[in-house]
Parts: sequence; C-alpha cells; structure tokens
Amino acid sequence: MNVQATSGFGPAKAFSVGGRSYAITDHTFDVVVVGAGGAGLRAALGASQAGLRTACVTKVFPTRSHTVAAQGGVAAALGNMGPDDWRWHMFDTVKGSDWLGDQDAIEYLCRNAPAAVYELEHFGLPFSRTEDGKIYQRPFGGMTTDFGEGPPAQRTCAAADRTGHAMLHTLYGQSLRYQTEFFVEYFALDLIMEDGVCRGLMALSMEDGTLHRFRAQRVILATGGYGRAYFSATSAHTCTGDGNAMALRAGLPLQDMEFVQFHPTGIYGAGCLITEGSRGEGGYLTNSEGERFMERYAPHAKDLASRDVVSRAMTIEIREGRGVGPQKDHIFLHLDHLDPKVLHERLPGISESARVFAGVDVTRQPIPVLPTVHYNMGGIPTNYHGEVLAGNPKNEEAIVPGLMAIGEAACVSVHGANRLGSNSLIDLVVFGRAAGLRCQETVTADASQADLPANAGEAAIARLDKFRHASGAMPTADLRLRMQKIMQTNCAVFRTGEVLEEGRKLIKAVWKDSGDIKVTDRSLIWNSDLIETLEFDNLITQAVATVESAAARKESRGAHAREDFAKRDDKTWMKHTLAWTDDAKRSVKLGYRGVHKYTMTDEVSYIKPKARVY
Amino acid sequence: MSSFRTPLGRVRGLGSAKSGTAHFWQQRATAIAGVPLVLFLIWLAVNLAGADYATARSLLSHPAVTIVLALSFFVILKHMRLGMQVIIEDYVHVESWKMIVLLANSVFTYVVGAGALYALARLTFGAMQ
Amino acid sequence: MVQLTLPKNSQVTQGQSWPAPTSPKGEVKEFRIYRWNPDDKANPRIDTYSVDMGDCGPMVLDALIKIKNEQDPTLTFRRSCREGICGSCAMNIDGTNTLACLKSCDDVKGAVKVYPLPHMPVVKDLVPDLTRFYAQHRSIEPWLKTTSAEPKAEWKQSPQDRAKLDGLYECILCACCSTSCPSYWWNGDRYLGPAVLLQAYRWLIDSRDEATGDRLDDLEDPFRLYRCHTIMNCAKACPKGLNPAKAIAEIKKMMVERQL
Repeated sequence: MNVQATSGFGPAKAFSVGGRSYAITDHTFDVVVVGAGGAGLRAALGASQAGLRTACVTKVFPTRSHTVAAQGGVAAALGNMGPDDWRWHMFDTVKGSDWLGDQDAIEYLCRNAPAAVYELEHFGLPFSRTEDGKIYQRPFGGMTTDFGEGPPAQRTCAAADRTGHAMLHTLYGQSLRYQTEFFVEYFALDLIMEDGVCRGLMALSMEDGTLHRFRAQRVILATGGYGRAYFSATSAHTCTGDGNAMALRAGLPLQDMEFVQFHPTGIYGAGCLITEGSRGEGGYLTNSEGERFMERYAPHAKDLASRDVVSRAMTIEIREGRGVGPQKDHIFLHLDHLDPKVLHERLPGISESARVFAGVDVTRQPIPVLPTVHYNMGGIPTNYHGEVLAGNPKNEEAIVPGLMAIGEAACVSVHGANRLGSNSLIDLVVFGRAAGLRCQETVTADASQADLPANAGEAAIARLDKFRHASGAMPTADLRLRMQKIMQTNCAVFRTGEVLEEGRKLIKAVWKDSGDIKVTDRSLIWNSDLIETLEFDNLITQAVATVESAAARKESRGAHAREDFAKRDDKTWMKHTLAWTDDAKRSVKLGYRGVHKYTMTDEVSYIKPKARVY
Repeated sequence: MSSFRTPLGRVRGLGSAKSGTAHFWQQRATAIAGVPLVLFLIWLAVNLAGADYATARSLLSHPAVTIVLALSFFVILKHMRLGMQVIIEDYVHVESWKMIVLLANSVFTYVVGAGALYALARLTFGAMQ
Repeated sequence: MVQLTLPKNSQVTQGQSWPAPTSPKGEVKEFRIYRWNPDDKANPRIDTYSVDMGDCGPMVLDALIKIKNEQDPTLTFRRSCREGICGSCAMNIDGTNTLACLKSCDDVKGAVKVYPLPHMPVVKDLVPDLTRFYAQHRSIEPWLKTTSAEPKAEWKQSPQDRAKLDGLYECILCACCSTSCPSYWWNGDRYLGPAVLLQAYRWLIDSRDEATGDRLDDLEDPFRLYRCHTIMNCAKACPKGLNPAKAIAEIKKMMVERQL
C-alpha cells in the first residue's frame, strides 16, 4: 500500500489497496457528528449554534433514523398533570437502573429534562395538549411520585403515540436553520486515531462510492443501538451499532453490553413495537386464562411495572403453559375496553400497526404480543458531558481526547441495568444538548489542526476493500441469521450459565466463520450488499461482547436475569462491565469500572440501594 | 454542463412571483359566472333555430340580449384565456417558446373579443341591410 | 416543447429470470423488479424472481429482503424501520406508489411488479435520488417561527388548535404522493409538490407560529402552489392515509381569504 498525491488542486489523495486505487476527499471541520437521530441532530444543532463548523455524517436521511419509531413519549418532570419533581424522576430512574446507573449522570438527566422538553416545544414539536393548553403527559412504566411511595406519575410528554417521529422531524427542521453540513447516505467506516486521540473519521459515500476523510477537533458518535444482532427486534434494519463497533476497532471498550432490554409488547411475529403508552392509557396484559397476571408479579404498579419485570413475568407465564394462541407462545394486550375516542386521539399509530401487522381491530380484539429486543443499555462509556472514557483501570475517569458519544450508542450510564420507558428520548436531547455545550466550552472555532498522519484512513480502506472483494463460502445473510438466532436463544430474557456458555461457543464460531464471508456485489455505488456486510462485521463484535459480558456477570440485575444467580449482588457486582475485542485474535477481554456512588450537586443525595419491588 | 449550484439555490430559483391568487379565483369566478351565461346562449340558439335574418337580428339587437351577450363573451373569453394559460404553463417548458405561446394566447383572445364586440356593435347600431 | 419520445437509455429491457424454489412450502409468487446498475451503462431491465410465500413474511418488503438474502444480494433498495414510519422503502408496487413494508403481497393479483418512484432520477435499482425533494422541503423553512418573547415554559396551544395539526404532522416524507402527481412530473423543478405543500400547511396552521403571512408570501406563485390541479393522486397514494390535496386547497383558501 502506498499513498500518492494525485494531480490537481487541494489535498486529493489516493490509497492503493491490492492493486486497486481508492481516491479520497479530505474535509476539515471543528466537529463531526456521526448519526442523525435525535441525539446526533441535537448535538449537531448545538455545535452549529456555538459557531463551530459542523458536519453531520449519516447513513440514512435524517428523518429515517430510528428515533422516528419511538412512540410513547419523553419523560420530564413538568408537573402538568399533577405534582411532580425532578428528584422523583431521578429516584425512579435509579431504581429502574437497579442501581447500576451513575447517579451524577442521572441527576444531570432529570434536572435538565424539563428545560430540554420546553426547548423542543419551542422548536415546534406538536405535543398533545391538556385543556389548559399545556403539554399532555401520560403515565409510563416505573414512573412514580414521592420517591416510589406515591401513585404513578404522569411524566411522559407525548405527541399522541408518534412522539419520536414528531421529535425527529422537529429536530431535523430546526437543524436546517443552521449551517450544519449534512453528509447524507455516507457510511462511517472507522475512526482515525493517533496516539490515543481521536482525530477524525473515514466514510464512504454510498451515492457515488467516493471515500471521504474527515479531520475534526471532535468526533461525536450518535450511531444508536445494535438491536439487529438479535433475530426479533423492534429495531430498524439499520440499527447495527456502527459507532460501537468503530470504538471497539479503535481499541476502546464497550460498557454494560450484557444489558439488553426486551420490550414487553412487540407484535407477535412481526416484532413491531406497541408502545408502553398503551398500558399507560389503561391497557393490560392477560394470559390464556384471561388473568391479569401482572397483579401477581407487581401488586403495586401492575402493568406499569418496569419493562424487565413485565418481560420476565410474560416469559414465565408462557413457560408455565399459560401463553395464548395455538402454540401457547405469546400474550394478549387488551385495549378493547378503552374508549374508542381515547384510542383515536392518543393511540392512533399503534391502532394502525396492530391492524396492518397483526390483523387486529384494537377496539374489539386483543393484540398478540411478545417480549422483543428493544434497547441496548450498554454502549460506549462516557461521562455526563458525553466525553468517551478510555477504560483506563488506573484512572477510571480518563477520557479519550477528541471523541464523544451520545444517545443509545453511549452508556453514560443513566439507564444502568434497565431503562425506563420514555427515558431514552429525554436521554437523546439532554445529552445531545450536553455534547453541544461541551463542544462550545472546549473547542475553538476554526482552530488550526495538525496534519493527519500520512496513512490515516488506510486501514479503513483496506477493511472496505477486503469485504468488497470477499469471495468466501458464506453469504453475509447466512452468517447474520446464524448470529441472530444464537443471540435470540442464548442471550434472552432469562439466562443460565449453561446456556450462556453454549452461546459463547456458538457466537465465537460465527465470528471465526466471518473470515470466510462472501460478498456478491463488487460495485461501489449504492452497494447495499457491501454495506450489509460491513454492518454484520460491526454486529458480530458487539454480539460477542454481549455474550461474554453476560456470561461473566454472576448475578441478576435489571435486564440481566440469571436463573442460576437469581439475586442482585451489590457487594461483588455493583460495577460496570467493560469489554474490549480483538478482531485479529477473535478474542474478548473483560474489565470493570466502579459505579458512581455520588450525585452531581448537593441538592440531592445519593440514593442507597434497596430491594427493587414494583 | 454540470451546475455547481446548491439544491436549495436551485429550488429557490428566482423566488416567489407573489401572484397567482388573482388568476386562481378569477378562473373559478368566471367558471361559475359562465354557467348561467352558457345556459342563456343555449336558450338563444334554440330560439333562433330556423328563424329568418330579420327575426334573428331584431332579437340580437334587443338591449338586454346585447348586454348579456357582451358579458358572455367577456366571461367566457377570460375563462378560456386563463385555462389555456394553465395548460401552456403545464406543458411548455422552453422559456422562449412559452413566452411566445402565452402571448399568442392573449392576442388570440383579444382578437376574438374585439371581433365579437364589433359584431355586436354592428347589430345594434349598424344600418339594416 | 413537450418531449414525446423517450431517451434511448430509458427503454426497459427484459432481464434475467431467476430459478423458482424447489419444493416450496406455500404459494410461489413472481416478482418482476426494475433493475438498473449505473456501473454497466446498460439499459434498465426487469428481472423476474420467484418467492416461496410459505416461507416469507407477508409484506412486499419481506419478499424483497428474502430475494436479497437468498437469491440475489445485488438487488438494491432502501429500507429501515419496516413498520411504515421511516419512509425509506417508498417505491412503485403494482402501479401504485407505496411503502413496501406496508404493502401486503396478497393484495397484488398475479406477479408483483416493483419499480422505483416514478419520474425521479434513479441512483441504482429501486433507489431514487430525492435531493430536489429534500431541498424543496427545506425551502419552506419547516420550523416554528416566533417573534414574541419566548415563554419560560411551553407556548400554550388549545387541544382544538392542536387537532388542526392532525393529518399533517404525521407525514413521513416518503415522497409517494409527490412522485404520483402528474403536475409534479411535468413541473417538479418549480412546483413544490403535494408532500412539501402539506408540510407548508402544517406550519401555516400551527397556532404557535407567527410568520403565517411571510409563509403565504413565499408560496404565492403560479408554479410553487398553483400547479396543483386537484388530480388527487396524492391522497390516493399516501401510505399514511393523509390528504395533501386537502391541505393544498386550504392554502389556496388562505390566499384568497387574506385578499378579501
């Protein structure tokens, strides 16, 4: 491989890989945001507003990002529908996280939530309204008043059941006001690292197959989760955790990967999401005996218990033979007792989804549902400014200069072992905004940047070329399916040491076999075969990290439910898992990091662990 | 020739003409007004079917008929011109051609209108042949 | 004048027929799919695939993914959420613009014909270039504009005023409507098209917005707005059941109203 300058103006260069020449276009920005979902758009907006030259690199047009599919709402203690306090929101979030969340970050989230929601409203988000013209808020799982002692809180601000869609379109519209330069349908390949510092990013333009090298003072990863590592997920096809995998390839760890949230109500078969807001509006679950079984599992919160609790209860009901349907393998969600006017006004989207994907008229029939992979609590470890932690055992708070992560890609960690519904949308905007503010504080506009190393980006192109011309025996789709089935079977709602051990072996075999991958399309223009292969390569490392982290954690906490270790063990396991992968050796290394047992300010004190009952 | 103009620049183009509303409501107004006027014309045609020249001329030069006829010409021609303009704008995309055809549309309408008015004037004021 | 003949390279040829599945579990359905590869400079072609519906999800998107996974990985299309909310998989199926993820294969009698959205430049196969469509959306300035002092909390809005946004804010920018509109086909460079005008009306009718007049000024144009001839293809095509034609009629009404 060699680098040669091509003729003409500017710093045009080309890398030659395996006899093939790849021309690259260089760009310099103050800030490069990767991903244009809720968090990415909010961060790009903030950086642009701060006068920084900002690029937003995204593999789909911004309004196609998966934030668009969020339904129920965004949590913030506005108190529009009754008394509320951000400290109560904080308590619920800590309890929801099963005390794995970092409480300084949770304080930052809940304290700044109301301002972030008002800001969205000022941007134009069409929230549903109360009679007195305020933002409508609905009850949601795990959201209570008076530090868990009071009745359910109405804290989740909603735009019918299309809140994510409304939010994403609002943020996209708003971002058009500023000078953010969008690179749409550019697939991010790899970070450019130099001596432990992030210097930029390599990306492939899908439209014309050109390669782009971005040099920046800050790279912000807002690439979302990796739900597609599983067979049945509410996640979009594009949720492949590309940023997480780029961090792994850059030698950085991912945190708490064993915590994968199963949403209780994915449509049976199709896997499409039915919002928790449907239970917030009064819906309930029944088993084959017509029993509202959640009353047994969570006497106080019932159907509005935390998601991990409901998913486990449903799994137990099915396992004990009380599932519905001919195979007795799912559960019914009832909305048929609700006023059709409420359904029309508050839940029009899911009424439509249930009709299209389950053939059900929600005013008359229950919806067949099943716990479905929905959200990754784990991701790139960061502090509450969004700065990525280096995973340095000697200094746990040491950051990676130049690199930030936000949204589902990040693990701040505010969701700990289990995220509460409607806390993800608020996570996006609060930490998206935080990242923008951090850039404003720490980045000088148009500051001169040192030249990139001559070979910067070469490895990324070599990887691209390797997959583009991969001519092994196993098509990407086959390997991907194998991985998804293994994850679905061996890393599910309930886990045991035995099943996880088997999962470790099986998933490693897939990882090994990916050396024999086969790509058919050799072109560079909109080569979705190649993109899906790069995405699979991203997924498999995260899948391995997930199984390894899960096998190591010998306790039950939040979404990680071990049948062989049914209790939470705060003495040994109140710590974050860190996982590094080595692609060449196909190996995973685990480490741990302490949970922050302190708050951000004196206005609220550390919430001590106690039994988690709903 | 490749243009380096940004997509937004291209879409904004020369900006809004800040017109079109008058055209829009005039087209609808003339359409509605046209309904009774066309009914009147049909009535007139039926009445005059088979009539000799003198009868026809005396009916057509009746002041009320002349006035309504003049109105009909005005409304229908106006509607015709507006409608034709829409069709031209829809389908003719070469700017120079479009100008010429739009002009021709107007000229044609005025010529027909002038002819019609002249005919009415002759019927009313002209000497009996 | 009007171009009545097609450019040579736009003529679609008969492409490859892929082998039918052996021992299918259910009905075998034929898919005739538009293919065009920018690399080989050849004319577009129609490839024919056979899919075992007994081993496939119900939607056209499921079938496309199955074809890509099992038969022809080079088949190229956009997709993401697969539940009708992201707007990626808009294409022309059985002669109608719609989302592949919401279109049931059973709704199509005989072979399923799949083409890209009509009258858009094609990047590859079923992937159209929507650059101009997005720029048009940007041109209507889709954000809340206010001049009054911003309240500390939310701008108040009554449920009745909020209800006026229903049927508008749900638009997913899939472009099914705009690319089904003959007026947009002929004058897409100057006519904003149904999707963008629906978006424009969403901001015009938002009780919180204070720039209604400016917005109307920007739209009052023989081409931007008045190319709508109420053909109604837009309302028929919209996979979300919205009615852009009605929104456009409301804009025209506002235009007249402010002159009276």
